[in-house]
Amino acid sequence: MSTHLSADQLLHAYKVMRTIRAFEERLHVEFATGEIPGFVHLYAGEEASAAGVMAHLGDADCIASNHRGHGHCIAKGVDVYGMMAEIYGKKTGVCQGKGGSMHIADFEKGMLGANGIVGAGAPLVVGAALAAKLKGTDSVAVVFFGDGGSNEGAVFEAMNMASVWNLPCLFIAENNGYAEATASNWSVACDHIADRAAGFGMPGVTVDGFDFFAVHEAAGAAVERARAGEGPSLIEVKLTRYYGHFEGDAQTYRAPDEVKHFREHNDCLMQFRERTTRAGLVAAGQLDQIDEDVESLIENAVRKAKSDPKPSAADLLTDVYVSYP
Amino acid sequence: MNRRPLTVGIIANPASGRDVRRLTANAGLFSSTDKVSVIQRLLAAFGATGIEQVLMPTDMTGIAAAVLKNSQGRQARASHWPALEFLDITLRQSVEDTRKAARLMAERGVSLIAVLGGDGTHKAVAAEIGDIPLLTLSTGTNNAFPELREATSAGLAGGLFVSGRIPAEIALRRNKRLLVRVPSRGLCEWALVDVAVSSLPFVGARAISRAADLAQVFVTFAEPQAIGLSALCGLWFPVSRQAPGGAWMRLDPQSPEALLVPLAPGLLQGCGVLAAGSLEPGVAHSLALASGTLALDGEREIEFNVDDRPSVTLDNHGPLSIDVNAALAYAAQQRLLAIGREHPQHPLNLLSRDNPGE
Repeated sequence: MSTHLSADQLLHAYKVMRTIRAFEERLHVEFATGEIPGFVHLYAGEEASAAGVMAHLGDADCIASNHRGHGHCIAKGVDVYGMMAEIYGKKTGVCQGKGGSMHIADFEKGMLGANGIVGAGAPLVVGAALAAKLKGTDSVAVVFFGDGGSNEGAVFEAMNMASVWNLPCLFIAENNGYAEATASNWSVACDHIADRAAGFGMPGVTVDGFDFFAVHEAAGAAVERARAGEGPSLIEVKLTRYYGHFEGDAQTYRAPDEVKHFREHNDCLMQFRERTTRAGLVAAGQLDQIDEDVESLIENAVRKAKSDPKPSAADLLTDVYVSYP
Repeated sequence: MNRRPLTVGIIANPASGRDVRRLTANAGLFSSTDKVSVIQRLLAAFGATGIEQVLMPTDMTGIAAAVLKNSQGRQARASHWPALEFLDITLRQSVEDTRKAARLMAERGVSLIAVLGGDGTHKAVAAEIGDIPLLTLSTGTNNAFPELREATSAGLAGGLFVSGRIPAEIALRRNKRLLVRVPSRGLCEWALVDVAVSSLPFVGARAISRAADLAQVFVTFAEPQAIGLSALCGLWFPVSRQAPGGAWMRLDPQSPEALLVPLAPGLLQGCGVLAAGSLEPGVAHSLALASGTLALDGEREIEFNVDDRPSVTLDNHGPLSIDVNAALAYAAQQRLLAIGREHPQHPLNLLSRDNPGE
């Protein structure tokens, strides 16, 4: 619950956020070349949310993501090169190139999948949380959805069931202000998504999603609660996305200086660097080194992904069903 | 003759009453819907006491939108709501929105600003408005500065004062404040109730939920029935709102003396007490820790390190606020709310309108 993090934990959090940022900014450039099939929805700007929540989870804890899933995957520990290859539709991708950006999954890392259907992750994590409860493990399950997802019936049903069965479950509403082009302050009836928790008999809080430490602390309290058998919680993380809903979105629905303002004043990486170095907990040189390492990690991932083979026609009929032992 | 309309401001903090203490303690939720109701109770009381215009900021959480919608309704007409004007500000969804709204209201010369929020919201408004009185309403988590109070009666007290029917020397009280100075960063921030020095390195989720994280507390006043950081002094070294000075306490988990304190709703913590004493006005105090965070009115706001050397000073130049109890006692004594039979809201007149045959 407290913000006493070790230097290693701080460096790891920074690395996660920097990796997500570099991954997304590179995709922003690469997508424009037309080489990437399908759609991509970039998570840049929202990194503190994924990093702050995932700092409390291990491989045994499951998460389900949404269409904007790259950040959740990276923070959950999915291989960055495997993700890049997947987005390029290559056989070396984490789903053999057959899923693409919106279907990246890695069960070994507890990543149940990004999801192209808005709100569809919530029932999945209720299942995972029920499994944890029935098996008697102390695992938790976490779903990430957006302000648009928060209006979906499936999310309400999942919250109700998680509460009725007192499941170790976290509902993370990443409120970036827009469901595609529809403003959440117009489309979310009670406006504060956290307010909805009360209707399902669980606690709901709102935190600043630009601040890693705020997310980390709130998620820590909620995970601790869930692991102790005290049931589900809802955390509304308020943040902004630096790019459009999808790549190619002209974003005519946003104020012209909106993103600029948040980049200059609230950016999670900027804040994190400033505050951790100021507190003397990590050295600027250590963070610079991470920046460099991440650059080459992403560069290598893109280079390899581009030259990797595509799946063959014969691959069409494999991996359709999970084969149970 | 051009008389300026009687104008007051209402600022509701959309973010109050929903922080991490719903997870770490048993704090209740203050929803946007509840805040809308509180504003509407105020509007009814303001309408009844002759306030003609109300300024409100817009917000991203539907509070202004709901009030605007309901202002077209029957209740609003029946209770003669003042005319509403919404301030045009670029919203950043941070405390800056509150400050900007307060500055605009001060520029417009409002006679009173009603604030819905916690200690932190009141502090943010107070620092921007000079001697415009505050009508304080608690919609926060654990508050000491705004009292828990029904908005209708608070609105009556505020409205009667603004319309000149209660003299200032009865309706208003001057509050103390704490000034937190961080010279290295050119900061001078206010607190209206307490400043806590914490060893936590980051602002994080803002609230302080563990006594062990506290090293020192300064208070302007501390009532024994308080909840939150000021309860520490309130239960060990209480000091009233009216007293000229404040109090301080040094805390250490290893101290042989300890105190059980309600730090947040439902959260009782044992807290080691090293020493306590009076805080004289005008004397700058340095901090017990070289680095950590400063919580102003209950929320961590300032991260400081060894180079910063912040100081805390109490003075008596805090905001004016409406003393609702004193104002309404005067209203009762003077029969300020007595109405004639010709008054449209007189119960007998309402009766005869409902039954035109009688």
